[in-house]
Amino acid sequence: MSRVPVSPPVAVLLSRREAVRRLAVALVGAGAAACAPVRIALKAYPAEFSTDSGMVERTLRAFVLTVVPGADPEDPGPTRVFAERFHPFGPHRGFFAADLCRRTRQRFGEGRFDRLPAAERTWVVRRGLRQRGVVGRMYAGAVLLAQIAVYARIYDDARGSSLIDFDGGGHLPTPAGLTYPDAGRFLARPLTATGNPA
Amino acid sequence: MRTIETDVLVIGTGFGAAAPALRLAAAGLCVVMVEKGPRIGVADFRQTQHPAYLLKYLKGLSGDGLSLTFAEALGGASGFYEMVSLRAPARAFAQRDDHGRPLWPVGLDRPALDPYYDRAEQMLEVEQVAPEDVPKSGLVFSLLMKNLGYSCDRARYAVRNCRGSGFCVTGCVFGAKRSLHLNYLPQAEAAGATIACGLEALSVEPTGDLPRTAAVTRVAALPRRWAVVCRHTAGGAYQRYLARLVVLAGGTVGTARLLLASRPYLSRLSPQVGRNIAFNGSVKVLGLLPPHFPAGDMFAGRSHPGMISYEFLASLGFTVFAVKPLPLQVVASARLRLDGDPREPAWWGEAHVDLMKRLRHRVIVLGTLGLTPPAARLTLDGSGNVALTLERLPALEQHYRTARRTVESILERNGCRLVHPEFIDHGGMPRGEPFYSSAHPVGSCRMGDAPDRAVSDAHGEVYGCPGLYVSDGSAIPTSLAVNTSLTILANAERIAAGILKRYGLREQSAA
Repeated sequence: MSRVPVSPPVAVLLSRREAVRRLAVALVGAGAAACAPVRIALKAYPAEFSTDSGMVERTLRAFVLTVVPGADPEDPGPTRVFAERFHPFGPHRGFFAADLCRRTRQRFGEGRFDRLPAAERTWVVRRGLRQRGVVGRMYAGAVLLAQIAVYARIYDDARGSSLIDFDGGGHLPTPAGLTYPDAGRFLARPLTATGNPA
Repeated sequence: MRTIETDVLVIGTGFGAAAPALRLAAAGLCVVMVEKGPRIGVADFRQTQHPAYLLKYLKGLSGDGLSLTFAEALGGASGFYEMVSLRAPARAFAQRDDHGRPLWPVGLDRPALDPYYDRAEQMLEVEQVAPEDVPKSGLVFSLLMKNLGYSCDRARYAVRNCRGSGFCVTGCVFGAKRSLHLNYLPQAEAAGATIACGLEALSVEPTGDLPRTAAVTRVAALPRRWAVVCRHTAGGAYQRYLARLVVLAGGTVGTARLLLASRPYLSRLSPQVGRNIAFNGSVKVLGLLPPHFPAGDMFAGRSHPGMISYEFLASLGFTVFAVKPLPLQVVASARLRLDGDPREPAWWGEAHVDLMKRLRHRVIVLGTLGLTPPAARLTLDGSGNVALTLERLPALEQHYRTARRTVESILERNGCRLVHPEFIDHGGMPRGEPFYSSAHPVGSCRMGDAPDRAVSDAHGEVYGCPGLYVSDGSAIPTSLAVNTSLTILANAERIAAGILKRYGLREQSAA
């Protein structure tokens, strides 16, 4: 089974300053800048998220398991998706991880999103999704990417997604799996002789 | 800039391009096809849902309330389409505009197109699916209709020896789909046509003053009055073609974009370019099958699972069919909420996982295609970017409500629980409702009997531009209520036949 070459991940995360600059520009563009001054964004993006890729990875993995409970926690694919080039999320993933942890600290006094129980992680993500403007869009994009990575199993085409009983590519159904042997029982009265409408 | 001279330049390699290229090359003309997308074939197709793979070939254009999908690759959409191959119903050709004027050219109706449908079907090896080849989800859909006393027909496909892998929309790795790579295009090349891929047509312009009409003559006696400037998508080098005849077949979006960009050179071009886009007004409804109902299988068998119902075509103007999306298509198109499940969040987390676990065997997705009015428009800004706008016509809104309620009723009366989709954009954000997504846009350069209401005449020739033809979906004036590919191909065959007749040509090589 041939595989699709995976796009190389974005080489580095945006620097904290660059991410904040882009966010500020985006907020202005979205007309939502007034309630999200850049200094808050700077506080929300501690430097460790620019330098500790392990922190980002752990946080994103916990995010995936929050969005898709039951996803394989050992599967490296779902966190790779956040760096993909087909979606503009990639450069912002460090900021996103930092934002998850900031909300975690604000609500639970603990700065590690990945250490929260599932219900509390869900609370954090729901709060992020409720945000208007760029932040809310960032959370929506992250949920979408997590679902794509897990359900479509884009990094292991042939394996599919056992969570939803999806076999993946390279698997052919048996005749019994493809159809029912007594098709006539299902067929409704046809209107045409050939299948073409009159 | 390199200049190449040819008799005929065909822009595009999809359903609207393949027939003119083959027929004119077989008649002995020098034919060049240019294709913006890459050269691909069956060996390049993959069973993957990786967006990076799909986005190489499938493109989208979104506007408020409407999103269009089209392909940019050798063979156009034929590589990535289920190859449902149905003739348009007679009533599709009888549609009229708000003033009661016919939208199709006079005399162009189903009987007139039937001989060309015959030819297209023969080339694509179209056949009605056998009962034993209808996948489970198609049978379940048929049973839903049967239980209510409604009709349902086995559909027709350009597919032979389907293996049932379910990856029709990523390209059939088995070559079972009779895409254009397996018939028209190799035959056109065998007849002498050349195909240049990775080449985007930027403008069409006359090399001199255009006559009002072209006197009927031999093609060889025509001047090369059309210059088409192209750009290589890799590297950006420019290339110019000089042609006696140009056939525009880059698709409903591509052809309109090209003509809009060429308007400064085409003073007589109709103001209708880019307008009047019809799109089959598709509505999609999901349901969870009741426990006693036989299981479907969302992941096994052809993506368009075999059955279509014409039950409501005469009364309400739409057809109904089942849809089998891949997991990627499900999560990337809509947030799902199961009716009656109070859990929040519904579209992610535990509730969503529970629903997704039932997707394969217990969820049924039904779609409609309707005779909806032309309501969308393409425009070009100063930077060459295309914008799509939808006019929310009352008739369109009424159709949406009627179709959705009708199909929801089918599900509910069979005991299904509804699954509510909230459609999302590429960033995952909800779109407003109603929202249409369509791979069946037509009409942006429609045929018609009057130049003030149409871009090209009944023969496909652009008004005021002798020798410039439109033969793709952009020429089709109305929604069809069925998949559009076979009608586009049949009409392209008709236009090709018209060109041959006009210039006294006959096909020489067997096609």
